[in-house]
Amino acid sequence: MRTLFGHPGQQTFLPRGVRCNWTQVLSLGFTLLSVVFLAGMVLLFLWQSLPVWRHSGVDFLFGDRWFFRQSEFGVLPMIYGTLVVSGIALGVSVPLGIGAAVFSFEILPSTYRLPLKIMVELLSGIPSVVYGLLGILFLRNWVYGLLTPFDPLSGDTLFTAGLLLGVMVLPTIMTLSDDAFGSVPAHQRLAARGLGLTRAETIFQVVLPQARRGIMAAVLLAFGRALGETIAVFLVVGRMDNVLPENIFSLRPFIEAGQTLTSKLGGSETHIAYGDPLHWAAMVGLALVLLAIAAGVTFCASFFIQGKEEPDATSF
Amino acid sequence: MAAIGIGLMMTSKLGAQDILKINGSSTVNPPAAEAAEILRSEKGFAIHIDTQGGSSGGISQLADGLAQIGMSSKHLSDDDRSKYPGINFVETRIGEDAVAMIVSGDVWEGGVRSLTKEQVRGIYEGRIMNWKELGGRDQRIVFFNKEPGRGTWEVFAKWIYGDAKLAPPVSFLEVGGNEEARNKVASTRGALSQLSSSWADGIRVFALSIGEEAGSTLDPTPANIASGKYPMSRPLYLLTNGQPQGMTKEYVDFLLSERGQELVRKHGYLSLNQLE
Repeated sequence: MRTLFGHPGQQTFLPRGVRCNWTQVLSLGFTLLSVVFLAGMVLLFLWQSLPVWRHSGVDFLFGDRWFFRQSEFGVLPMIYGTLVVSGIALGVSVPLGIGAAVFSFEILPSTYRLPLKIMVELLSGIPSVVYGLLGILFLRNWVYGLLTPFDPLSGDTLFTAGLLLGVMVLPTIMTLSDDAFGSVPAHQRLAARGLGLTRAETIFQVVLPQARRGIMAAVLLAFGRALGETIAVFLVVGRMDNVLPENIFSLRPFIEAGQTLTSKLGGSETHIAYGDPLHWAAMVGLALVLLAIAAGVTFCASFFIQGKEEPDATSF
Repeated sequence: MAAIGIGLMMTSKLGAQDILKINGSSTVNPPAAEAAEILRSEKGFAIHIDTQGGSSGGISQLADGLAQIGMSSKHLSDDDRSKYPGINFVETRIGEDAVAMIVSGDVWEGGVRSLTKEQVRGIYEGRIMNWKELGGRDQRIVFFNKEPGRGTWEVFAKWIYGDAKLAPPVSFLEVGGNEEARNKVASTRGALSQLSSSWADGIRVFALSIGEEAGSTLDPTPANIASGKYPMSRPLYLLTNGQPQGMTKEYVDFLLSERGQELVRKHGYLSLNQLE
């Protein structure tokens, strides 16, 4: 069949031996475009944040004091806040999301599976500012009441923000895990049941190990989303600067207010920083740090997903 | 692709001329938004109004050309002017407002009705941490600081320290717009914050009087604000780049008219003729 642009694999104006078609040309073009944009963005961030690196050096990363009027810029408390909030979010959403996926794919009759999946995916279509307002109106008061025995300062805590983010990334984990279960061949389930494994054993011994890579990808993708979420976190995290526990494993700061990289960037300081080269550089530096963490997670994701061979445990 | 790019640029340029964009202080916002609503329905104006970043957000968006009017609840400082040397800021005052220290219901019921400047300073510098020390119940003070760049914060810092630049570095819970401050104070035990006094509803959040050395107290009444006796009062401004023209001028003139001034009073602020 011939189409306007020729069929796939058709030889065009390129030298003989080089196979090319419009799809390839366009996708190459757009891939290059995205690479150029990314590189340009990183260079711009590096360039604009240069004054703060000159001013603080590595103390920008490892300093624990941020007072812009005194020209002190230390990002560590915000890195801590970002990691804690995202960590809590994953702690909440990973078991729930995978559990929900197991239920929808392995247990629920297929007639109900699609409506359920659509409903969960609708959750991810809710704008994050709406989640944030729900957080302000209900979640922070609920958490405040729940934590009363521990006497938190207010309902704005890292825990509140993490819980809210957990709900927000739940659809990502659930739908992607569900897809991962879908990629496990049905005959393996039949074989497992035929060998006398119960349904639970089939899920835990056969399906989950085989879907492992897909689930890992889902978790890391959710982690990436949690790192970058701004508005919802902004509204319930308390935006308290310079919160860094002396003991990094202490759980106490979880129920106190904090600051994340995104809540700082989303706040009013960017407006003040504009026009002051050093302060502006510090804000751009925050963005660069966030970008670096997100890039690190993505790198780990591709390493995990591609780097591991399947063990032989599932072949029988 | 270039054609699309040029097309986008043209539409955004046209858009900037047709749509009046207003941004800034959430204190100025209620009368300004209602005025925008009236002009929208009566004259068919297209007006976008937002409170991104408070007063300093209004100033920076006006300077960047992202807005034609900035709303500000503080006097423009020399720093602001020197940051944007190419911009000819024109301040049009539309009213006057007072900032008060506001507390949650449990503090009010606990018997705290006024704070002196020294007491507020002690709280801000972390020396006073319990309402017990101020004649209230045994309850930690939860101070929600207005984030930097908010007009409210600058008025507060100027009252305590004489100049916002002299305020010491502190780390408190931070709140942004007035709605957020009111909501969070109302729902937290032992809460204290700075807020435009007309936003304290007397049901969930309460405005404290300012205690004076002689033991008397000052309330943000119209008389005290107009006479300048109440220390934390501040003008409410519309900022423009150069003298307002066209749609911008019509909007500013509307807020200065008797109908516009009525809106200022309706939202709890002092109109210009109350100040004379």
